[in-house]
Amino acid sequence: MSPRTLPADLAAVPAIHLAGVVKRYGTHRALAGVDLDVRRGERVVICGPSGSGKSTLIRCINALERHDGGRIVVNGVELTGDEGTVQDIRQEVGMVFQHFNLFPHLTALENCMLAPRLNRGLSKAQAVKLAMAHLERVHLADQARKYPARLSGGQQQRVAIARALCMEPRILLFDEPTSALDPEMVKEVLGVMEELAASGVTMVCVTHEMGFARRVADRCVFMDRGEIVEEGDAARFFEAPESERLRHFLAQILR
Amino acid sequence: MSALPIDVALAWESLPALFAGLRVTVFLTVLPLMIGLMLAFPICFARMSPRRVLSLPAEIFVVFFRGAPLLILLYLVYYGLGQIEALREGPFWVLFGSPFGCAIVALSLNHAAYMVEVLRGSLLAVPHGLVEASEALGITRRNIFLWVRMPLALRYGLKAYQNEVVSFVKGTAIVSVVTITDLMAVANAIFEQTYDPFTPILCAATFYWAFVNVLRIGFQFWGRWLNRHSAEDAVAAPAGRTVTP
Amino acid sequence: MTNLSPADLAGYLRQLGEGALITLELFLTSFALAFTLGVAIGVATLSRNRIIRAAWRVYASIFMGVPSLLVIFLIFYGGSAMLGAVLGEFGSRIDISPFGAGVAALGIVYAAYIAELVRGAIENLPRGQFEGARALAIPPLIMWGRVILPQVMRLALPGLVNVWSFMLKETPLVSLAGLQDLVAAAKIAAGATKEPFVFFIATALVFIAFSAASLWVANRLEARLDRGQRRAPRSPSRAEA
Repeated sequence: MSPRTLPADLAAVPAIHLAGVVKRYGTHRALAGVDLDVRRGERVVICGPSGSGKSTLIRCINALERHDGGRIVVNGVELTGDEGTVQDIRQEVGMVFQHFNLFPHLTALENCMLAPRLNRGLSKAQAVKLAMAHLERVHLADQARKYPARLSGGQQQRVAIARALCMEPRILLFDEPTSALDPEMVKEVLGVMEELAASGVTMVCVTHEMGFARRVADRCVFMDRGEIVEEGDAARFFEAPESERLRHFLAQILR
Repeated sequence: MSALPIDVALAWESLPALFAGLRVTVFLTVLPLMIGLMLAFPICFARMSPRRVLSLPAEIFVVFFRGAPLLILLYLVYYGLGQIEALREGPFWVLFGSPFGCAIVALSLNHAAYMVEVLRGSLLAVPHGLVEASEALGITRRNIFLWVRMPLALRYGLKAYQNEVVSFVKGTAIVSVVTITDLMAVANAIFEQTYDPFTPILCAATFYWAFVNVLRIGFQFWGRWLNRHSAEDAVAAPAGRTVTP
Repeated sequence: MTNLSPADLAGYLRQLGEGALITLELFLTSFALAFTLGVAIGVATLSRNRIIRAAWRVYASIFMGVPSLLVIFLIFYGGSAMLGAVLGEFGSRIDISPFGAGVAALGIVYAAYIAELVRGAIENLPRGQFEGARALAIPPLIMWGRVILPQVMRLALPGLVNVWSFMLKETPLVSLAGLQDLVAAAKIAAGATKEPFVFFIATALVFIAFSAASLWVANRLEARLDRGQRRAPRSPSRAEA
């Protein structure tokens, strides 16, 4: 199952290694040289004001945005312009979006089956089995035959999580997974994410859910203006922020 | 309706000829629709390419074959191409030498140009987030096109496609100018024999109207089947049933 | 390749020019008729009256469901007889010219499309526009003329541009009823000079150029109308300051 470019000894390399990553949009520097290592099995929460570059950062990790400078190494494979490498990395990295991005013309089940069938050539029966298992994991097995438009926002996001899980990725990226949800649905999605965290998968999560960060994150990262300002374990991060910018940010969102 | 001066006996007598004409009209609809659609895909990809060498010729193709009236295109192919010696000598003369060949070429090119724009509009309407989600799942570009972009583009573009097909059918009525006996030509011929200005033309009108509406209904069913996933239909149906007394 | 004398060429060009004028005249007259009829029909058929609605459906279905060429022939061949039925002896003596048949046919056919656009635009207008006008006790005629229709035209403009360029491409059909328009002149010139390629391409380019020019004007117009709308919400705050 493992793509051809993966090194044999995965345990020896960090899941994600970022060194001096730069991303520009015209003259604006969205990422101004970011260094970050994520260990295997680690759960990292990234927060920061809007426009701080946190979404851009995780979108660079699976090459939805191409970085302009620095190095990005995922599972020991460096991300270059090469299409094959990009495909291999994407097989290993699942992503959950703010706006779910479910395929509206496919049922929840078919949403989950599409990538395994196309990428791994699973038979229909195998794909159904796999998809049902992951829908079960997000507690939506009973909604499998429904189209996304008939599901609530929280249900849609959980299907999106199941869809990402169906590729059995070693790394999961979450791009503000709860910020498009109505408040009463945030909890069900965070609940599923906490269960996932307990399963040992590597997670990088951009979110403003500070309760989630406290309970789940091994490490919190604060970004502002395209750079990492401060990082540390969750307790110290919230109780004793060092930088003025983080104190200011926390004061605003925890108010 | 009795005010319409329709000669029922003449209409009845004309039926076989009108059906023969309808057959020609249907043939000259179906074949160019297929050829035009097949041409439209590569031209549309070229049109959407960021490379100017590809997009510029495609754009010129679209502007010309969409902007020129169909009648002129037909004259151009029928009278104009015969002028080119290489073509007259070459193997394609079987195609360009016959009225049918010319009509099919002109109609196909015209339809292709329209379909490039229909396709492009529909593909651009597919939300970028869905393409990104597919990319993030590691699906290849080819498969994203086949399984995500194209199925959705079809849903967004179906109405425009229907409109183009309907106006295309009506457009085929000009092929009589290159001596093809389609439905319009049959009606004209009967008029010239009988000098009855209403019966043959109104009969032909009925045939055209029926053909267009069969297509329209077909598209409606197709659209309903494609959109079975949309919440409005699915939810509105049972709600509507409870409201009605 | 060509063995045209300059004098001949000048003659053909003059004919083409005259043909182009006739085409333009036909097109503008037909569009004016279609527009007037279309707006009138569009407004009239919003009525709650069942018969009016049914009549609209039949009219739209017929004229959107048959080729324009057929309507042109019907009116050209049968127009005198139809007028005779309506106006009696006097009507049947009126001869229908190709030009008249073309204007009538294109006008009637495209009025259906324009009416549908207008209906759609009126239905998309916020209810408040009508209520506001009524609350101010604005007389109906002024309400429609000064309040509703200008907004409707703005909403219907993209569709009208479509109808405009589509109708332009159907004007050559009238040459098949014998009108000596641009296309007919091109056909004559092409046959006489044995240079069909040049003449038909040139004719096609004239249509494309005219279409492009009118599209450019329409875009400018649309931008100007949009500007008026976008500025509107900001003005009150400026008045306060």
